[in-house]
Amino acid sequence: MTDPLLDVRGLTTSFETGQGRLTAVDDITFQIEEGEVFGVVGESGSGKSVTALSVMRLLDDAGTVEADEVRFKGTDLLSVSESEMRSIRGGEISMIFQDPMTSLNPVMTIGEQIAEVVRHHGDVGERTGFWSEMRRKYVTGTSEGSRSWQRAVELLETVGIPEPEKRATEYPHQLSGGMRQRVVIAQALAGDPSLIIADEPTTALDVSIEAQILNEILELSEEFGISVLLITHDLGVVRETCDRVAVMYASEFMETGHVNDIFEDPHHPYTEGLLASIPRIADEREWLSVIEGTVPDLIDKPSGCPFRDRCDYAFELCDRPLVEYEIEGSALETHTVRCHRENEHVEVDDSGHVESVPDEAVAALERRIEAESARDADGGVSPTADASARADGGSRPSPAADAENGGDHGEY
Amino acid sequence: MGLREYLLKRLVHSVFVMLFVVTVVFAAVRSIPGDPARLMLGGDVDTATLEALRAELGLNQPLYIQYFRWLRRLLTGDLGESIRTGEPVLGSIVQVAGPTLSIAALGMVIALVIAIPTGIISAVKRYEIEDYLSTTIAFFGISMPAFWIGIVLVLVIGVNVESIPTFGYTPIDEGISPWFRSILLPSFAVGFPYGGILMRMMRSSMLEVLNEDYMRTARAKGLSSNLVLFKHGLQNALIPVVTLAGIFLAVVLGGVVAVEIVFGIRGLGRLLIGSINRRDFPLIQGTVLLIAFVFVLANIVVDLLYTMINPRIKYGGGD
Repeated sequence: MTDPLLDVRGLTTSFETGQGRLTAVDDITFQIEEGEVFGVVGESGSGKSVTALSVMRLLDDAGTVEADEVRFKGTDLLSVSESEMRSIRGGEISMIFQDPMTSLNPVMTIGEQIAEVVRHHGDVGERTGFWSEMRRKYVTGTSEGSRSWQRAVELLETVGIPEPEKRATEYPHQLSGGMRQRVVIAQALAGDPSLIIADEPTTALDVSIEAQILNEILELSEEFGISVLLITHDLGVVRETCDRVAVMYASEFMETGHVNDIFEDPHHPYTEGLLASIPRIADEREWLSVIEGTVPDLIDKPSGCPFRDRCDYAFELCDRPLVEYEIEGSALETHTVRCHRENEHVEVDDSGHVESVPDEAVAALERRIEAESARDADGGVSPTADASARADGGSRPSPAADAENGGDHGEY
Repeated sequence: MGLREYLLKRLVHSVFVMLFVVTVVFAAVRSIPGDPARLMLGGDVDTATLEALRAELGLNQPLYIQYFRWLRRLLTGDLGESIRTGEPVLGSIVQVAGPTLSIAALGMVIALVIAIPTGIISAVKRYEIEDYLSTTIAFFGISMPAFWIGIVLVLVIGVNVESIPTFGYTPIDEGISPWFRSILLPSFAVGFPYGGILMRMMRSSMLEVLNEDYMRTARAKGLSSNLVLFKHGLQNALIPVVTLAGIFLAVVLGGVVAVEIVFGIRGLGRLLIGSINRRDFPLIQGTVLLIAFVFVLANIVVDLLYTMINPRIKYGGGD
């Protein structure tokens, strides 16, 4: 298998707050292949957006981003210089944000907002220095004969905006919400990216145009061979659009796998809860199914499973550090779950409740945890890299192999 | 609505604003104690002489007659004559308006040139030394009245730097440099408080803009931080500042009146204070009218600027 387009291992982002250290993203690992649509689904505050901003290095000084690796096309994004990062942002990786009313600049024409991306990342031979840009902005305006402008008009046409020449000269407030989000998509395409990070791209839109916008993103990314990291809280959107999906809860990835596996054969109680809470027309129930309880405080977050207080299946291992278990029998893609019920020695009854926890289970878990901390110690990777270790649901954990890998490459 | 129509509408509005101003001033100056006729004649005069003078000046008429008579002359562009000297009010004002307008204009320029960059720096370097330094200086500017700043400037700079005069005004036709030097300190004195206010507004406005989504978008496009700040941020941050800059112009105009006294400059301020002391009603009214006119005119200019930098606003609204 070729290297993934984006390879994120052990990404941890935290913020120093007055009350303590807030862990917004806790040791997550994922890979995005070329041409793939990878979804991250979770409720608000679970750290989905911070994950995206961490990868793009767009968090301000308040956030600390640590990772074993954030590798994009072989480049370690966390170690490149800021100017190299700038050529990646908007160029190789572009973003679509949630609210097109606030994410477009109200005092700049639509054409210029797209054209500036073309100028900075494309090969149009137009000057992009500070003073050239300032003169263009405040004195001369963008020339409508310039290649960047013409490209902007083309892009507007590509995303399905009628009368693109005229629209390009207009300001964001003159367009409807759906049109504005199309402009944002055009802007994201302008740098010829390999990856688009779409952060809740349809959440601020009317339901009636949600599907149109999603289709636009997916069709165009397929047409141009662009991978998509789709962040959403909407399971319906995930099911319609994604190849693989990660379910995020309280800053951690609880379950990752092919979208069919996740929907048809969820292993994590949180995923099950999420799926059960989707209302169905055929449903006889009077009440919507909900997950009782609230998300734990992410400030000075304790180790162990963050879902255990809300989980119907909680048992004595749940306050131990989480490790990743691979589900066997998933035909499509690697399906991994971070839930100790998957420990090969733990006995689970038909309803999913834990019957007994033999000593072997505890011993196996302890070996895994120990192996991971040992690997972290000599590998020089961050102490919370357990997500990248592999523990197969059926087979014995193999600490030696993990130590060699320093993380798991073929996981997906 | 086109630009011309908009301007016309604004000018018609302004006429009403100024009419309101002069009416209030007319009423106010006549309600303060003191009779101009008695002040002119001095201490011991008999009633007959006093009455004769009052009749001559038209002060024995009922107030509304005086008001409408004055208003009628005003409509023909005639501001009347000073009741003290008998000279036309307009002439007296034009004679001394030069220094006042020069000081006010330069004061504004100084304020803007200082306030906008420091406001931006302060916002970008929030809670850092640059921020504390500039907000502290701005705080001094807001707290100290212009005339006090003027006195301090005379003591500190005027006494030590010979080339900068501390007294009097040199008209511009005697050379740009002497003119400039003669208004430099008073302009700074009126510009400093105004600049302080503008700087605080620029700072808070820029802080707000820095948190906007489109600034994050601009960074996500891979633009340098300077481009993000000045290409995407500056114009947005200026929108509220420009609006308030017009309103707070009153600080400058008020400052000039007092500062002229400190620097011994014969300008509108001195003319106004002198005319109030002498209860020279037409002169007071004329001077206030001119100041109101400058204020209104400046605000029209500000509103035009505002529509230029904010594409969401079209002339006359409706959007």
